Amino acid sequence: MTRLLRIAPFALLALAAVAVPAAGSDYGVSFAIQVLVFVSLGYSWNLIGGYAGYTHFGQMSFFGIGAYSGTLLILNAGWHWLPAALAAGGIGALVALPLGGAMLRLKGPFFAIGMFGLTRVFESLALGFDGITQGGTGLYLPAPDSLVFAYAALVVVAAALILLTWWLDNSRLGLKLLTIREDETAAEALGIRTARLKVGAFVASAVAPAMVGSIYATYLGFIDPATAFAPSMELTTIATVLLGGMGTVLGPLVGALGLSIVNELLWSRLPELYSGLVGLLVIGAVLYMPRGIVSFAIRRKWLPTGRGAFRRLARHHAAPAVPETVPKTTNVDPAHV
Amino acid sequence: MTHGLTFGVAAELLVGGLLLGGIYALMASGLNLIFGVMRVVNFAHGDIVAVGALLTVTLVGALAVPFGLALILVPIVAGALGYVIQVTVIRRVIDGPPIMTLLATYGISTVLVNVAILIWGGGFRGLPGELAGSVPVLGLDVPLSRLVAFAVALAASLGVWWVLRSTSFGRAVRSVSQAPELATISGIPIDRIRNMTFALGSAMAGLAGVLLAPTFASDPQMGSRFIVKAFAVIIVGGLGSYPGAIIGALLLGVVEVGCSYWMGGVIGSAMLYIVMLATLLVRPCGLLGLGMRA
Repeated sequence: MTRLLRIAPFALLALAAVAVPAAGSDYGVSFAIQVLVFVSLGYSWNLIGGYAGYTHFGQMSFFGIGAYSGTLLILNAGWHWLPAALAAGGIGALVALPLGGAMLRLKGPFFAIGMFGLTRVFESLALGFDGITQGGTGLYLPAPDSLVFAYAALVVVAAALILLTWWLDNSRLGLKLLTIREDETAAEALGIRTARLKVGAFVASAVAPAMVGSIYATYLGFIDPATAFAPSMELTTIATVLLGGMGTVLGPLVGALGLSIVNELLWSRLPELYSGLVGLLVIGAVLYMPRGIVSFAIRRKWLPTGRGAFRRLARHHAAPAVPETVPKTTNVDPAHV
Repeated sequence: MTHGLTFGVAAELLVGGLLLGGIYALMASGLNLIFGVMRVVNFAHGDIVAVGALLTVTLVGALAVPFGLALILVPIVAGALGYVIQVTVIRRVIDGPPIMTLLATYGISTVLVNVAILIWGGGFRGLPGELAGSVPVLGLDVPLSRLVAFAVALAASLGVWWVLRSTSFGRAVRSVSQAPELATISGIPIDRIRNMTFALGSAMAGLAGVLLAPTFASDPQMGSRFIVKAFAVIIVGGLGSYPGAIIGALLLGVVEVGCSYWMGGVIGSAMLYIVMLATLLVRPCGLLGLGMRA
């Protein structure tokens, strides 16, 4: 029963993913594309922000880099949008690797500031190198024949990220990342290779946004610096994960669905009201529900607890590590305690 | 684009950079003060600068309030705004995980930007004609508005520094920043000191906004541009170090103006960021290397 309950949400999602284009309306597909973009961005953010605990205000850097590299490959090299999107993901990883190596030496607020500023620098570079990017005018792509292909690509990206997160949540690797989040010094003392893991998580969190950026540009048929590095998307991504639950498997999905509906209702008519409202939601979540909707539901037993694999392991090896009858060690040199 | 470096050009760039740096110093000092006492990196600081600038445009431009009066009124409003932010949000998350404080100030920043857009609209606003004209300084013509901004900003920064060093309030602030537990034991009301510090830091941001208004076109989204610069300043100068922030600000002002002259505006402001990154990687404690102490 619990196994069924665990699989049920994924089965429902798969069903929903197929049902949307089958139902046909362009509006439905467009809306689903919005949701999937935020799902992909949210799960990516969750890897570095939720699991490794590094607040990241610069994910749109990679989205923008992906959007521009994909668009330029399509326009200048005549690539098909699919290989262009894959290449954009690769470029995102290539940029993220050295960047992560440098930036992740910074802790807490410094990392956040660094990444926040970096997005603005990339934006001004995209504006400044107008020979390549057409600056503020933006680049136009031929309109896509059908939205369904972009939709399908995003479904694959989002599904891969959800599965990756589910696997991570039930793996030793995920536990190591959570250890870094809780106490990096202790993690290092336990022999966890923190630097390598953090950079790995950072690079992993950059690939999908770059791919999604490229696909999104194809879908819009247009990209300019303000769209590619939009602060409002950064905000929505972070709010998505925070509301849903940082470091949970279902959190970003729940958050993305919820926020996409608010987005749809308000964005087109009152963008300022939308962003302000999401800002208020972020403040409210921080004040009243910092662990997010999913953790709340788990505590109320509406959802099965996560990390089932660990729980089963723990049941099998339930012997205490140190029997209580053993007397306390006495031959410890006090100088070394 | 190659420009020779004559003495006149160098002097002009130096003066221009220092004048810009003066405003950065005021902005960064406020941010630094808040960080020093509360260990909070306030993402909304730049947006308080923006609110200050836009409020000045409305007061002076539309309501014909004298600029001198705005210099007093706007910082009071900004300080009150900071006080409200501190009491309603920051105070309640400050003892939790640092990631939550960061997210909270990020949320506040978003709310401020968008409320400002709803009030003032998204466009740029200026104060044409206010403090117009120029003054000869060392054989250069310096715009009056920039000179006034520099003088007021530097005076305010140094004034707050003096308050921190030499008054009993300043001693209380410094003790809360260095050892909150000991401060509590000594009978210092640390909650009230924190509230006052946040209000003071925000008032400094508001004053920076007033000073920016006559020279630069203001818009609700200017905060994100200035917050990165203010961060760059305090990281280069040394986080929590007051003199470091002032020296760092003047230095980065000159770097920005100089690099913009030789390499264009885009690279010029990116250069500020590159200097900040280099500092973070090479000397994370900043120029004055005082680390966390105020």
